[in-house]
Amino acid sequence: MTARQQRPTLPFPSKEATVSPEDLVAQCQAGNVDAFETLYHQHAARLYTLACRMAGSPEDGEDLLQEIFLQAYRKLGSFKGDAAIGTWLYRLALNHCLDYVRSRQAKMNKLTDTLDAETSIQPTARRETPIARLDLERAVERLPDGCREAFVLHDVEGFDHKEVGRLLGIAEGTSKSQVFKARMKLRALLGRA
Amino acid sequence: MHPTETAINDYVDGTSDPFERNAIDEHLAACAACRQLIEDLRELKSATATLELRPPPVRAWGRIERAIRLEQRDRPRAVFPSVKSLYWLGAAAAIVLAALIFPRFLPGRAPAGGDEPAEMSASARQAAEAIESELRLAESHYENAIKGLEAAAKSDQDALDPGTAATLQKNLAVIDQAISESRAAMRAQPTSEPAQQSLIENFKTKIALLQDTVALINEMRKGNEAGAARIVSGLKNKG
Repeated sequence: MTARQQRPTLPFPSKEATVSPEDLVAQCQAGNVDAFETLYHQHAARLYTLACRMAGSPEDGEDLLQEIFLQAYRKLGSFKGDAAIGTWLYRLALNHCLDYVRSRQAKMNKLTDTLDAETSIQPTARRETPIARLDLERAVERLPDGCREAFVLHDVEGFDHKEVGRLLGIAEGTSKSQVFKARMKLRALLGRA
Repeated sequence: MHPTETAINDYVDGTSDPFERNAIDEHLAACAACRQLIEDLRELKSATATLELRPPPVRAWGRIERAIRLEQRDRPRAVFPSVKSLYWLGAAAAIVLAALIFPRFLPGRAPAGGDEPAEMSASARQAAEAIESELRLAESHYENAIKGLEAAAKSDQDALDPGTAATLQKNLAVIDQAISESRAAMRAQPTSEPAQQSLIENFKTKIALLQDTVALINEMRKGNEAGAARIVSGLKNKG
C-alpha cells in the first residue's frame, strides 16, 4: 500500500477553500494538524523574518520559528479570540525572541559592545548606488547583539523607544543610543560613511 | 558644535521639537559633514522601510509537523536536533577530544608540578567522562533523527518519480562520502577546527537533504505540484 493510499481523508478543506479565521482557529484548537498547517503558512513568513532579524542568523531564526509554532500549538487552547490570531501569534513570537535574546545575553555578558565595535565592523569605501535590500538584510545580521535588537524593534517593527526599552529591559535613553549606534554601524557597513 | 546623537536621531525620525529642529537646520546650513550624515541616515531609514518578509525554508513546516505528531503520540520530546544542537555536538566532540588528549587544560586541574596530581587526574577524568556521556547522548539524538528521516523517506519513496529518487540517492551518496572523509580527517587531526567544522557541516547537509526529501514527499502526497517543483529545483541545484 502506498503512502498516498494510507493517508486518511482530510477532515479539513483544501487550501483553496475559504475558511474564516475563527473556524481555522477552532479547527486548530481541536488538534487538526492540517488546519494548523494553513495557519502556519498564513503567518510563518512574518514570524520567521522577525526571528531571523532578532537572532541575527537564518539558522537561529529557523530554530526559533519551530519553537514558536510548537509553543503556539500547545497554547492555542488558551486563545480566547480577544485579539486577531495574527496579533496573538506575533506577541508569542516576540516574547519568544526576547527570551532568546535575554538568554543569549546572559551567556555572553562578558563581551562588550566596544569589543564588537572594534573587531567586527570595518567601514567600506563610500558607495553612491542605492542601498540594496539584500545588502541591508546582511548588514543587519552583522550588527552586534544589543544594538541589533533595538534597531529591529524600533526601525523595522515600529515600536517607539519607550516600548523598546520596556521590551528589552533597558532605559528609553539607552534604546535611543543603541538605535543610533546601529544606524551608524549600518552606514559604515553599507559604504555610506 | 555638532548636534548630539539623540538630537540627530530625533531629527531623522521627525520627533524633534520645533526649537531643536530650527537649531539643527541652522547647523546643517553651515556643516557639510552633518548634512551628509543626515542624508545617509534618511536614506537608511527609507531602505529599512522597504525590507521584505523572508519565506522560511520549505523544510521548516516538515520539522514542526513531525514534532507535533510526535507530541500527539505522547512522546516527551521530538527526536530531531535543532540546527544549533549540531554545533553543540561538534563543540562537545572537540571538548572530549581535547580533554582526552590534553587533560591538563581541564578546569580544576592544578598547574604542572602541583601537590595532588593523582586527585586532579581523577577530577579531570570525571569531567571528561561527563562530557563524553553528553556527547554520546547528542550523537544518539543525531542518529535517531537520521534514522527517523531515512525511514520516513524510504517508506514513502514510491511517491517520488524515478529521476528525482535517483538525484536524491546520488546526493546522499555524495554527502555520506563527505562525512566519511571528515571523520577520517578528525581521526588524523582530532583538534583540527576545519575538520570539526567540516564534519558538522556535512551532518547539517545530510539532515537538511533528508528534511527536504520528506517535505517533497509530503507535497507530492498533497498534489501540490508547485511546492514539489520548488523543492526538486533546490535539490538539483545542490546536486
